[in-house]
Amino acid sequence: MTIELDLKGEVCPYTFVKTKLKLEEVESGEELIVFFDHAPAVENVPRSLKNEGHKIMGIEQTGDHCWKVRIKKV
Amino acid sequence: MKKIAVIVRNLPFNTRRNAEALRMSVGLTLREDKVTVIFIDDGVYTATRAKPELINIPPPVREFGALNMLKCNMLADKPSMEKRCIQEILENIKCVEREEIIRTINESDIVIPF
Amino acid sequence: MKLGILLTTSPENENTNTVIEISKAAREQGHDVSIFLMYDGVYNVNKKEFAELIGKGIEIAICAFNAEQRKLAKVDGILFGSQYDHACIASDVDRFISFG
Repeated sequence: MTIELDLKGEVCPYTFVKTKLKLEEVESGEELIVFFDHAPAVENVPRSLKNEGHKIMGIEQTGDHCWKVRIKKV
Repeated sequence: MKKIAVIVRNLPFNTRRNAEALRMSVGLTLREDKVTVIFIDDGVYTATRAKPELINIPPPVREFGALNMLKCNMLADKPSMEKRCIQEILENIKCVEREEIIRTINESDIVIPF
Repeated sequence: MKLGILLTTSPENENTNTVIEISKAAREQGHDVSIFLMYDGVYNVNKKEFAELIGKGIEIAICAFNAEQRKLAKVDGILFGSQYDHACIASDVDRFISFG
């Protein structure tokens, strides 16, 4: 099962805090898809999550200032 | 796990500094360190139900919301409040005696006056 | 020893020179130094003497959100990071000093 989280309108560090809290609801090995519209978050949240051991399965720009990040929980 | 104290001590109305101190405090919790926000001197006004939006300053709703969600410890210095006749502060901020403020600072591994 | 420094004031404040000198002195004695810039501290990336710290092996990260608010362009060698990077510095260092 894939869980989605819409973080459009959120900035750092709330983007990371909310992603981290949502990941607590996700089972290990499952995917979380997060939507961002804050450019620095698209670089920094995946980098920070990798540092925490999670896998980034893909980053896709879905529109003007819209990104979709696929995270696999460690 | 480290203990980190962030001290907010200036007036909140002519600056974004205080809101940024709160945003930084949220960020500092991200490595499981224990963060305490201390409101002291004119910083205690940050802990009140002021309406900065009346002078076109966004209220730190998101910052306090996140700190509450993360159950971050927030303390307001009682003598600073009394000196300024502040009787009411935001929920989840504890009004404490100066001794507790000093103890918290002394016990902290990192102190960040902001 | 690992030293962490937070700088939140802009370059006209004397804090900038203090941070530069402390960082250089610590580095010369073999200590690791990590600096985090946020709020108006992000403006220091444009100060020549400050940016030269990168060449001395000092790590500098800044809050990309504050930099974006202030329309600052990226600078090579400086991590345009997040508050998570600040949390990592605070968590990992032996001593932490704040200049604000």
